[in-house]
Amino acid sequence: MVVYSFYIFDRHTECIYSKSWLPPPSVSSHDPLTNPPTHPQHQQPPPHQPQQPPQSTTTTTLTLTQKQSSDNAKLLFGTVFSLRNMVRKLGGPDDAFISYRTAQYKLHYYETASSLRFVMLTDVSTLSMRNVLHQIYINLWVEYVVKNPLSPVEHKGGEGVRNELFELGLDQFVRGLM
Amino acid sequence: MCVSLIQPPIHQSHRHTKRLSRTVFALIIINKAGGLIYNRTFHEGGLNKISTNELLVLAGTFHGVHAITARLNPIPTPGANRNSASSAGTMMRPEPPSGLEVLESENFRLQCFTTLTGIKFLLFTDTTQTNVDLTMRRVYEMYTDYVMKNPFYQLEMPVRCDMFDRKLLSYIREINNR
Repeated sequence: MVVYSFYIFDRHTECIYSKSWLPPPSVSSHDPLTNPPTHPQHQQPPPHQPQQPPQSTTTTTLTLTQKQSSDNAKLLFGTVFSLRNMVRKLGGPDDAFISYRTAQYKLHYYETASSLRFVMLTDVSTLSMRNVLHQIYINLWVEYVVKNPLSPVEHKGGEGVRNELFELGLDQFVRGLM
Repeated sequence: MCVSLIQPPIHQSHRHTKRLSRTVFALIIINKAGGLIYNRTFHEGGLNKISTNELLVLAGTFHGVHAITARLNPIPTPGANRNSASSAGTMMRPEPPSGLEVLESENFRLQCFTTLTGIKFLLFTDTTQTNVDLTMRRVYEMYTDYVMKNPFYQLEMPVRCDMFDRKLLSYIREINNR
């Protein structure tokens, strides 16, 4: 089982937290030929984060990847939101969207009563991760974000979510699953 | 639109839901432009009844979401940048990412099969239904036999073929009564 990435969306549809366990793409776009397609389906993610991209291009690649990941999060939210509405329309107002699967990945979804949305992308063979997302909500979100006296009520721009305890706890929890 | 639903008596359908848990609820066919071309309910009570207009909207939404889910693929593909794919030859062209294949919710399961020509078959079943692949395959065979081979059928237009209706209904009824 491999976890690719994890997202939290607040009730204002904003992505307030995202984390990826995939290694950052080592393929630099301007030099495609030197990289043979050594690919991918890595069964075990590397224990340490791979090395940083070269210093000269750091700033440009960083802003680029930031923009990409923010766009990705928006796409993801749109998808999840549409599917949730579709499920409610077809299955009744008490029905809940759980997951979908494509040939490449599987997306798991959990929504709390306060419209906080947890999304996780894993490989296709993973079974339902709904309870895992629920655990993240109970054991990490409530403990380290909600109960944090310094954290604001609304997490605009991810404020108050990216604290050390939450990050550490999440990373340990997810790596424990893999 | 073709919404001539065959409704079993209500008491009967209730008995059915009690007795069997494995049921095919409905079939929807979406053409490659995202238009709804076929819609049939086999089991009342499985899904909410929604109007044809809403169903058309739903089909269009699903069409869009399906395209986005293919784009959200978190695994970097070897041929992600096009220059490398073209320069390295056509032999190593990767499989294009597929869109949504299975969606699960608390009340139903949606299996989506996309043909090479871009037509989508959406089969709504009970969450415990197994062998949906097989059912889907058989439905597709029927489509090719009784819709595509019908000389009066116009491509991309709503499916109004008696033979297809009859064969499909008897096949699904067989499954639902098993």
